[in-house]
Amino acid sequence: MSDLIEIEDLSVTFRAHGRTVRAVQSVSLRVPAQASFGLVGESGSGKSTILRAICGLAPVSGGAIRIGGQPLRSPRDKAFAARVQMVFQDPYASLHPRHTIDHTLSEPLAIHGIGETDARVVRALTDVGLPTSFRFRYPHQLSGGQRQRVAIARALMLEPEILLLDEPTSALDASVQAEVLNLLNRLRTERGLTFLMVSHDLAVIDHMCDRVLVMQNGRAVEELARDDLAQARMKTAYAQSLFAASADRMLDPAGKETR
Amino acid sequence: MSLLQIENLRVTFATETGPVEAVRGVSFSLGRERLGIVGESGSGKTITGRSVLRLIRPPGRIEADRMTFDGIDLLKVSEKQMRALRGPRLAMVMQDPKYSLNPVMRIGAQLTEGLLRRDRISRAEARQRAIAALEAVQIRDPERVMEAWPHELSGGMGQRVMIAMMLIPEPDLLIADEPTSALDVTVQAEVLSILDDLVKSRGMGLIFISHDLRLVARFCDRVLVMYRGRIVEELAAHDLMAAKHPYTQGLLNCLPRIGGPRAPLPGLDRTGDWAHV
Repeated sequence: MSDLIEIEDLSVTFRAHGRTVRAVQSVSLRVPAQASFGLVGESGSGKSTILRAICGLAPVSGGAIRIGGQPLRSPRDKAFAARVQMVFQDPYASLHPRHTIDHTLSEPLAIHGIGETDARVVRALTDVGLPTSFRFRYPHQLSGGQRQRVAIARALMLEPEILLLDEPTSALDASVQAEVLNLLNRLRTERGLTFLMVSHDLAVIDHMCDRVLVMQNGRAVEELARDDLAQARMKTAYAQSLFAASADRMLDPAGKETR
Repeated sequence: MSLLQIENLRVTFATETGPVEAVRGVSFSLGRERLGIVGESGSGKTITGRSVLRLIRPPGRIEADRMTFDGIDLLKVSEKQMRALRGPRLAMVMQDPKYSLNPVMRIGAQLTEGLLRRDRISRAEARQRAIAALEAVQIRDPERVMEAWPHELSGGMGQRVMIAMMLIPEPDLLIADEPTSALDVTVQAEVLSILDDLVKSRGMGLIFISHDLRLVARFCDRVLVMYRGRIVEELAAHDLMAAKHPYTQGLLNCLPRIGGPRAPLPGLDRTGDWAHV
C-alpha cells in the first residue's frame, strides 16, 4: 500500500536581495494513512517550511510532494483544500480579528458550495468542545486556548483527511496545551485523520506521533520510531543533544542524577 | 540579610468594570539566590516582577505593607531616586527581544547609551565595556554585533544582548521575565548557564519568572507558585515533584513526557476549593 503523504528529495530555496537561503535540502519522508508523523528541530531547521511547501506557500526548488499517490497542482486547488488543512502556531494571528467565529467557520463552506451551514457550524463548535454561544463572538473575546480550538474547528470544516499542525500548542499554557493535545488525539481517532505535526518540544511530539524526523539547518538528521525515542536510541549526536536538552528530562529521576 | 523584602503586595488596575486585582497579597523575601516564580498566564507573576521596579503605569496602582530593597523603601522613594536604582542596582530582562530592543538603534548605541549618560565615561571606554559584556554572554564576534541592527540578530542573540545590557551596570538584583521562552531548547540551556554563572560569580540575586515549571525546577533554588495573583505554594526547587498543592500538581501532571503513556493528559482540575479563592 502506498503512503498517504510522500515527500521525496524536497528542496525549498528562498531568494531575496541577491541572497539564496536553502531552507529545506533534499528531505524525504512518508506518512501512512491515519498515522501521526512529527517534525522536530530548532527554529530555522526548515520544519515549518515543509508544511508550507505542501500547502503551496513556499517556493519548491526540487523534489516531489504526492498526496495519495498524486502530484499536487500548483496553485493548489479546491480539491486539495478539501483533503489537506493546516493549523497555525499563533492563534492570536491566524484568525481574522474582524470576523466573527461564525464567519470564520462558514467561509470554507461557502467557498466549496456546501450547504447546511448552520448545522455544520454548530456541530464544529461542539466537536472542539466550545459552547455554541461562542458562535457570534470575535476572536479578541476568546482566550488563546479557545482561539486554537476555533482554528482546529475551521481546519475540520471541510472534513479533510490530513491535518498539518504547525506548533499548535507552543503559544499556550501547559494546562491548555494538555486540553488541545487531547482534543487533537480524540479527533484523530474519531475521524481517522492523518497528522503531520511540527514542534520544537520533543515531549509533545513523543506524545502525539508514531514516528519523528529530527531536522537541523534544512536537512533531515535522523528518523526515529517512537520506541527508539523513548529509549534514547538515537544514532546521531544532534538528536542526542536535542533529547538531552529537552525540558522534560529534568523531571526524570534518572536524568537528574546524570546532569 | 535579605536583599529584597515584600509583604502583602497588591497591584490593582482600575478598569471600566471596576478595579481588577492582578496581585493579591504577595509576600516573599530574597537573598543572593535564584528564586523562580511560576504560574499560568494571568497569574500575576510578571506584574509582581514589574512592581519591584515600580514599572506599573496608571491606572495600575501598587500597594504593599512593605517593599524594601537593601534597606531602601521602594514605596517611598521619589521617581528620580527610583530611576537611579533602575539599572545600577535593580534590572529587568524582558521576555521578547523583538519588542524590547529599539529597532532603529544599532546594538552598540543601545548598549553604551546608559554608560554615556549615567556614568559619563568616554565613548571609547563605554565601547570597551559593552564589548566585554557581549563577551560575557558568549557572543562570539562582539565587534560585528555592536554594529548590527536588532532585526539582524536571531532570537537567541537578541536575548543575550538584552542580558548583556542589563549586566553592564552590575546590578544587585536581576529580574528575568521569561528570558528564554522565545528560544530553542539548546540555546535556552546556554542562556541559562550564562545567567547561572553571573549569579555565582557576581553574587547577584535573581528572580526568574517563567510559565515552565520544569525549567524553573532545574534552574532555581526556590520556587514560588502563583495562581490568580496569590502565592499558593513555596518549595525548594528539588522538592517540586513532591508538591502538595493541587494546582502545582496539576501543572506538573498535564505535561507530556517522553516515553510516557499515550492516555489523554490529565487536565487541570479547577473544581477544588483552592481554585476559587
